[in-house]
Amino acid sequence: MNATFSGVTSQEYKYGFVTDIEADSVPAGLNEEVIRLISAKKGEPDWLLEWRLKAYRHWLTMAEPEWAKVTYPKPDFQKIVYYSAPRAKAPKYASMDEVDPELRRTFEKLGVPINEQAALAGVAVDVVFDSVSVTTTYKEKLATVGIIFCSFSEAVKTHPELVKKYLGSVVPSSDNFYAALNSAVFTDGSFVFIPKGVTCPMDLSTYFRINNKDSGQFERTLIVAEEGASVSYLEGCTAPQFDTNQLHAAVVELVALDRASIKYSTVQNWYAGDKDGVGGIFNFVTKRGLCKGKGSHISWTQVETGSAITWKYPSCILLGDDSIGEFYSVALTNHKQQADTGTKMVHIGRNTKSTIISKGISAGDSSNSYRGLVKVQPKAEGARNFSQCDSMLIGQTCSASTFPTIEVQNRSARVEHEATTSKIGEEQLFYFQQRGIPAEEAISMIINGFCKDVFRELPMEFAVEATKLLSLKLEGSVG
Amino acid sequence: MMPAVDASLRSDLLATSRPGGWEPVRVAAEARLAAQELPDASQEDWKYLDLSPLRKLSFRTAEVASPAPAASDIPGLVHPEMMATRQVFVNGFHAPHASCATGLSPGVRFFPISTASEACRLLGTLGEGAPDFFEDLNTARFTEGAVILVPQNVRVETPLHLLFLTQAQDGGTVPVVFPRVLVILDRGAELELVEEYHGEGTYLSCPVVEIRVAEGAILRHERIQRESLDAFHFGALRAEVGRGGQYHSRTVSLGGRISRQGPRVRLAEGAEASLDGLALLGDTQVADTHSFLHHAEPHGTSRQVHKCVVDGQARAIFNGQVRVAPGAQGTDAQQQSRNLLLSGQARVDTKPQLEIYADDVKCSHGAAVGQLDPDELFYLQSRGLRPEDARNLLTYGFAADLLARIPVASLRRALRHLVLARTQATSLGGLA
Repeated sequence: MNATFSGVTSQEYKYGFVTDIEADSVPAGLNEEVIRLISAKKGEPDWLLEWRLKAYRHWLTMAEPEWAKVTYPKPDFQKIVYYSAPRAKAPKYASMDEVDPELRRTFEKLGVPINEQAALAGVAVDVVFDSVSVTTTYKEKLATVGIIFCSFSEAVKTHPELVKKYLGSVVPSSDNFYAALNSAVFTDGSFVFIPKGVTCPMDLSTYFRINNKDSGQFERTLIVAEEGASVSYLEGCTAPQFDTNQLHAAVVELVALDRASIKYSTVQNWYAGDKDGVGGIFNFVTKRGLCKGKGSHISWTQVETGSAITWKYPSCILLGDDSIGEFYSVALTNHKQQADTGTKMVHIGRNTKSTIISKGISAGDSSNSYRGLVKVQPKAEGARNFSQCDSMLIGQTCSASTFPTIEVQNRSARVEHEATTSKIGEEQLFYFQQRGIPAEEAISMIINGFCKDVFRELPMEFAVEATKLLSLKLEGSVG
Repeated sequence: MMPAVDASLRSDLLATSRPGGWEPVRVAAEARLAAQELPDASQEDWKYLDLSPLRKLSFRTAEVASPAPAASDIPGLVHPEMMATRQVFVNGFHAPHASCATGLSPGVRFFPISTASEACRLLGTLGEGAPDFFEDLNTARFTEGAVILVPQNVRVETPLHLLFLTQAQDGGTVPVVFPRVLVILDRGAELELVEEYHGEGTYLSCPVVEIRVAEGAILRHERIQRESLDAFHFGALRAEVGRGGQYHSRTVSLGGRISRQGPRVRLAEGAEASLDGLALLGDTQVADTHSFLHHAEPHGTSRQVHKCVVDGQARAIFNGQVRVAPGAQGTDAQQQSRNLLLSGQARVDTKPQLEIYADDVKCSHGAAVGQLDPDELFYLQSRGLRPEDARNLLTYGFAADLLARIPVASLRRALRHLVLARTQATSLGGLA
């Protein structure tokens, strides 16, 4: 094994750079004044401020969760900067040319298709750069069919009734420690509303990027698909290389009404810390979708390769009869990374179906856990779940764990869970090499085969990116 | 408030004087007990098991039953194969008139723990992991049980039978029994052991079984829990399996209002274990199995199949942890949790867990919860079976599968009859 894999060097984090923009920040620390300040800076209505304060007061009574299989120094919440906005040189940008050139260069380095490339790529991008949306493209085109795609703060101003109706309806502000924190201090995020019967004409995409050192990012995303609407939403993440840990506690809420369909895809490649586990992002995210209507459909696809610590369980509440929840995940950990990720499928309505496909790859000294819950409530007649959780271990010092929980209270339910563990066999590699394929390429091909069930759920451009990403992340670790 | 009542189980029992012998382990257990309450749902390991019925009761240590029931009075408890190799305990006391150890192979020892000398120093030291509340209660207060010693390279032909009977009068305080069993197989030894629990009335049974299987030794262990339907049963088992040794156990849980099995098995290099379980539950029964299989060294093999058939308002809980330690390369572990729900109010909570710290391993687990396959039901009906019979036959088949390999013929037959009766498949006749 050693001889076969040795000699490949480790891939450094490709996107590690810091953009120097004078940030408009509030001082570090958290109290009601800071929350009032954030709310005032964003010109929010009173009800939203009250909502934040209620969340904050509840948060004060909560304890940080300890049950995940991860260890990390607990963040000091009084040392975090809860608000920072890039200083606007002009109040509104008429075109991309007016955007801070520094900022544009950042996006170019990241390969964000924000200008003409966006048109070629056919992607509308709502760029979140350190908490404030800088520009939004394709808004007009989407507006003609009645779709609202804008920053969260803008939605609060332009569509307060929608925000008020759905905010916190899937993830209540008291849901868990990090969701409560997010509810208190969230600064911005994305808002999507697809009206009745509309199929979104393009994939919607937003790039998150943490830039200001010490500024935790607290995104709030809300996607609502009305009756018969459908949308595919893409989220991709990269962050610059820092030595201090950065906290990211986002909340994503999806609401699907009758026969609506929401597909949410993520490629997460935040800074994972260096080989010795110094630095890296703490990714403590609450993502949940509510299949509220009959025949609604929510699908989560995630490729998790970054972050020092990942704590993330994109879930589906299958409330509507005949609704469908799906979770497709590839989680790769290397060096000292720790990931505890999985999903929850809560079957409440009749004839609800859920599918869970999880592929965990652990290398180096990392720890990779799948943690899931499939719950069938007493009235969920005919509920059906299939789960498959496979792990691949690369090296003798990593670990892979599977913690599925199944709770069934209806006898007509069928719930199945399978999990296997494997490694890249020497015989497999020998076979490839015998056919003239070098070891490194062979490993990449085996990994891609292992993850195929998930990758084929990704939109095309993401699938390509994800494939490359896994190969890059594993370089040098296979030894 | 809860703690006041809760303290009763602990204080009722700790108020009694400490039995003689094994002083250090008893003192340690008492110290741990002093620092903990009866577990509740806030503890992850007890999340699904509601112990509140226990909180409403007060307890006392059981006293000698009079008149003592004879094993022969209870159908299915007398096994001709083991007539001369059995130890019977009634209400926690050794019952010499019902026991017989004349059929033992030379060198094999099988005797009440109360007569054991300090030579049994291994007691309280075997296995891994912190003991739970009920195990500590046992360690602090047990007075009786059995010791089994099999010397090097002795292959015991006749199976041994351990029978624990408990009889409680209804009303008043609830008697508690603490059976304690220590099984030591020296190198290359081989033994078949049947451990059986049976009773009447409301009582609490907290057995602890400690097992050492030395290098190359083989222990086959049948565990039959047929406590009364009003009883509580919380059992702990710790087994250490040496290099190349084998430990095969099969646990059949039929009785108990609330019952829990907590086997913890440690496998050394090249050791093998199987840990099968069957729980047949009805009414408001709750049965919990919390197992821990530890592949501590390389090249171990383990198999676990746990089946539950849940009817009425019963509830089955399974939490099976398999751990592959760092460096335990070549491990081969398979675990299955299979559950059949027969009624609308029945409930199953299952959590198989794999924790793997070595890369060259073959591990898998699976869990399934469902009802009878409509295609299979249709097939049987197309062969002329009534729908009711088809259902019962399939249920019986699901459950009885695990009994097929029980080597003691009379026990196998007895259990099949019990399962037939439970699955209402008796009318089909001739199956057992």
